[in-house]
Amino acid sequence: MAKRVLVVDDELDMRIFITTLLETSGYKPLSAVDGKEGLEIARQKKPSLIILDVMMPRESGLNMYRELKNDPEMKNIPVIMVSALSKKTFFHSQKVLDEYKGEKIAEPAAYIEKPPEPDELLEEIRNCLK
Amino acid sequence: MTQKILLVDDEEGIRKVLDISLSDSGFKVFTAETGKEALDIFRKMRPPIVLTDIKMPGMDGIELLQKIKQESPDTEVIMITGHGDMELAIRSLKFDATDFITKPINDDALEIALKRANEKITLKTRLREHTENLEQLVREKTKKLVEAERLAAVGQTVAGLAHAIKNITGGLTGGTFVLEKGLQLKNEKYLREGWDMLKGNVDRLKNMALDLLNYAKERAPDYHLCDPNRPAREVIDLMIPRARENDVSLEIESDESLPKVWLDPEGIHRCLLNLVTNAIDACINVDCTQRQGKVVLRILKTEGWAVEFQVVDNGCGMDEETKEKIFRRFFSTKGSRGTGLGLMITKKIIDEHEGAIEFDSEKGKGTRFIIRLPEKDQSTSI
Repeated sequence: MAKRVLVVDDELDMRIFITTLLETSGYKPLSAVDGKEGLEIARQKKPSLIILDVMMPRESGLNMYRELKNDPEMKNIPVIMVSALSKKTFFHSQKVLDEYKGEKIAEPAAYIEKPPEPDELLEEIRNCLK
Repeated sequence: MTQKILLVDDEEGIRKVLDISLSDSGFKVFTAETGKEALDIFRKMRPPIVLTDIKMPGMDGIELLQKIKQESPDTEVIMITGHGDMELAIRSLKFDATDFITKPINDDALEIALKRANEKITLKTRLREHTENLEQLVREKTKKLVEAERLAAVGQTVAGLAHAIKNITGGLTGGTFVLEKGLQLKNEKYLREGWDMLKGNVDRLKNMALDLLNYAKERAPDYHLCDPNRPAREVIDLMIPRARENDVSLEIESDESLPKVWLDPEGIHRCLLNLVTNAIDACINVDCTQRQGKVVLRILKTEGWAVEFQVVDNGCGMDEETKEKIFRRFFSTKGSRGTGLGLMITKKIIDEHEGAIEFDSEKGKGTRFIIRLPEKDQSTSI
């Protein structure tokens, strides 16, 4: 059966693009518009991979990522971050958050700056689902 | 030597508590209630460390951070953020804040942040001593600094532009990909979706180019004697499909008895298009509005002016911070979908008409923009 991949992004264009990429590469895409909906779907459907945007209204990708990694049932789902935020800024924010919360959250499986190139993204997806 | 520190927070209680705890730790503490006051004190006292709240009325912490970093990049700025302001805190890191600490302020966290800032300062000082021995180098460095400052202004504009273009290219790349898959697999759904993505992003590009051209042009309006209802009707016709798609009702209340007015029809078209687009976007924003979205474009005569246009929506409205910034270039609340050019250009066009633009808005209730154009007689407008 095709592996389920969850795409979380507030932008319609980005969701259509990534879900099409997944569908045409033999995966079963699921999509959500923000972190809150993303967590609900992740809990219900247990996807094999999550592709996550950082800056979203309502619940951001940062929170969703930490919640995923703190949930014993979901923390092993690999996450690819796709964001307009630069890689450096993202990793710095993770470090600072780790310090204040006194926890150590694992790094995402991959980090891609927007706009993602189809080949690059697909390669990371395949790497994660090998 | 006691070290100076500037503490900025609009809440008196926080200022008091932090003042005591910082003074105990051996700092000479200066306090400011607003961003503006902080900047004045900063310029006089030049403290190496600034501790500022992010959310403040008027100039907020992020703006203060940018101003301080512009004048004195070596100053370490630590941001104080409320619970749940993580996005703001991250934005501040982008502008080179040293660190951020969250409210309620934990003494250990504060100590760690201050220690880190001090380490950075020591490091920078040592580095500077090292380099400054070489007089030649200093001279070059100074020259470069002046140059850098001049370039910074240009750089900011270019960076804003590059960001807007990058967003659109992202949409185009995605659209091309989806469309190609549609062609390859003869899949109707992909074809349609890809095509819509391309069309939407080409429109965004076109609009941005138009906005930029308008921005760049220093020009007098190209006055014609026009029926003021006309540009309004054109904009409504253009925007009806988009409003319908998003389940927003779009209405025009024109006044056919209005006499003709001297105006630049293209410029006014652009202004109304920008305002109506914003109004529809405000109604779509699912965050804050559950009611049926409604946008009305009204054309009427007001005392003392040739014509007045009103664009009224019942969408998400603006908070005080947003209201202050809406006419600035590259300020946008639409995330990657906005360029931050629309309102700035609208204001520019109205200024060129010697008209007036104003608005009132309430968070969660809606927004009303008003444009007024002055009487012009033919002799002054040829």
